[in-house]
Amino acid sequence: MISRHRVSRRTMLRAGAGLAAAASFAAPAILHAETKTLKITTWGGKWGDIMKATVLPGFEKEHGCTVSADQAFPYVPKLQVSPRNDPLYDVLHTNSNEQWLAVVDGLVMDKITAKEVPNVADVYPYAVSDKIVGVSIFTSAIGLGYRTDKGITPPKSWKDLADPKLAGARGGYLIPVNSLGQCHLMMLGKVYGKGLQDLDAAYKALEQLKPIKLVDFTGQMEKMLLSAEVVEGVIHDSGVYRYEGANRQPVDFCSPSEGVMALEQVLNVTPGSKVKELAFAYIDYMLRPDVQKLLAEGVWYSPANKKVKLEEKYDAKLLTTPQKVATLIQPDWKWYNARKDDIDARVTKILKG
Amino acid sequence: MSVALNKRPFDLGKAAYLGLNLLLLAFLLVPIAIILVFALNPTPYISFPPVGITLHWFDKFFETGDFMRSLWLSLWIAACVLVLSVVIGGACALALARGHLPGQAFLTAFFMSPLMLPAILTGLALFQSYLLAGIGRPVWGLIMAHTLIAVPYVLRTTLAVLHNFDRRIEEAASVLGASPARVFFEVTLPLIQPGVFAGGVFAFIVSFDQFPVSLFLVVPKGETLPVVLFNYMKFDLDGAIAAASMVSILLALAVVLTLEKLIGLKAYVKL
Repeated sequence: MISRHRVSRRTMLRAGAGLAAAASFAAPAILHAETKTLKITTWGGKWGDIMKATVLPGFEKEHGCTVSADQAFPYVPKLQVSPRNDPLYDVLHTNSNEQWLAVVDGLVMDKITAKEVPNVADVYPYAVSDKIVGVSIFTSAIGLGYRTDKGITPPKSWKDLADPKLAGARGGYLIPVNSLGQCHLMMLGKVYGKGLQDLDAAYKALEQLKPIKLVDFTGQMEKMLLSAEVVEGVIHDSGVYRYEGANRQPVDFCSPSEGVMALEQVLNVTPGSKVKELAFAYIDYMLRPDVQKLLAEGVWYSPANKKVKLEEKYDAKLLTTPQKVATLIQPDWKWYNARKDDIDARVTKILKG
Repeated sequence: MSVALNKRPFDLGKAAYLGLNLLLLAFLLVPIAIILVFALNPTPYISFPPVGITLHWFDKFFETGDFMRSLWLSLWIAACVLVLSVVIGGACALALARGHLPGQAFLTAFFMSPLMLPAILTGLALFQSYLLAGIGRPVWGLIMAHTLIAVPYVLRTTLAVLHNFDRRIEEAASVLGASPARVFFEVTLPLIQPGVFAGGVFAFIVSFDQFPVSLFLVVPKGETLPVVLFNYMKFDLDGAIAAASMVSILLALAVVLTLEKLIGLKAYVKL
């Protein structure tokens, strides 16, 4: 009886082979189950198109993972609501002002260093300065966009926006909701007062800009310039340069003599991320020269990596040398965010009339 | 004499009434006309007068994968919400009108409360609840959220019908031997149908156009059309947005006309 149920060597071998075969059949499913997902935020528009078509598939292939890219705003409130130990995003991509909002609540890391992300060693100093939370992977220059066919003198200074001839044809932003508008306000403090934090001077100068056409998004400002509804307005360089070449439109960009404000594209990792290594690898990938070149030339953003070599026409206009980068002025968003409610109330009152 | 009698004197009040109606109509339709002009204008920005006519923006809309995926998702969700809100809202209305429930006024206010809260807060609260419950952001969660917002519309229109309902018709059917189920399906339901389906049309449109609640509940590659349009607008404000708006308006119109044809919503105007 016992001998009938004894497992023979042959049976063992058969069973082993069967298990091995089953394991090999099941392997794809197991691998699939182990495939990590990196949850990120990203922009839409041309940036989003390049990310979806080339950048993200490349990263997925290299790291054997999937990337879930959220393009639906608002990112920071969603992150605030999600559990800290299982955040909605692993990598948060926003402009600098929102990163500062997030870091105050402990939603993102303070700094990203070359220890975690090796390519950080090659970025311009502004990308990891004390004005940055996380690391800036690109920047744009906020200056003045203007029509070249409307007989206006090309601007040279921020003060040129106050030219009475531009009454009703100058453009700005709804300051409470747009970081370019917030940068412009701080710049008014620098140009007309004692510095970026001279709000009294900024409010006074803002009053002088009325009547001014206000928009929510930079995309709207681009269209206002293209339609000549606005003849001169605050905008970032990429919002004008992208109409180069086949899209050539009668618009140009001016970097005012007082300096340009930095509009940084910042990446950061959430402390509770369960795939932190993958998150760092993603930031490293985004800082890699080939990826930087692809995106910089696709959307006219200035790359943060010093080693990136752009084509001549991009190199001529974007901030690709230490000298050009030195013209960037980085706002103190921690200072601004701390008094944002008061500023919002004041500018709304000024611009309401 | 007869000619003099037939000649109507100028009625200032009636003319003012007509003028006011025309103004209101213009107020409602002019924005749609502007969107149409933007959708057909070749320039990638709003310009007036238009410089030509093109269907390029419609082509772009129909050829863009994100737009198409979100359009079908929005239609699918709106269809589910229509069915769910009609069933739930209709049942609630019957219970409130006929059930002799204690605290009827409170219950009515409770069911109507989703309309009183800012939808963005409802969206945020549901988003947090889903995350705390560990269910993430599934499509059915979005459908439930839209249903929550849509039920009050069905409830209100059905309650309006039920308030004018002559219950003697049901009693007559019962006296003649009809079972309660037969009375419901052959007497009650056909009579309250216009109110229920008018609410259903509202539910469909409210869901299809829903933005604030969806904003927090959509997932990557699972965004509804209003959310996709909002995000698109931040970066590419061109005629594709206007084309999408026109398609949305035409789809909503098609749904209303189809329901009108199938169910006869005209009856609702008698309420």
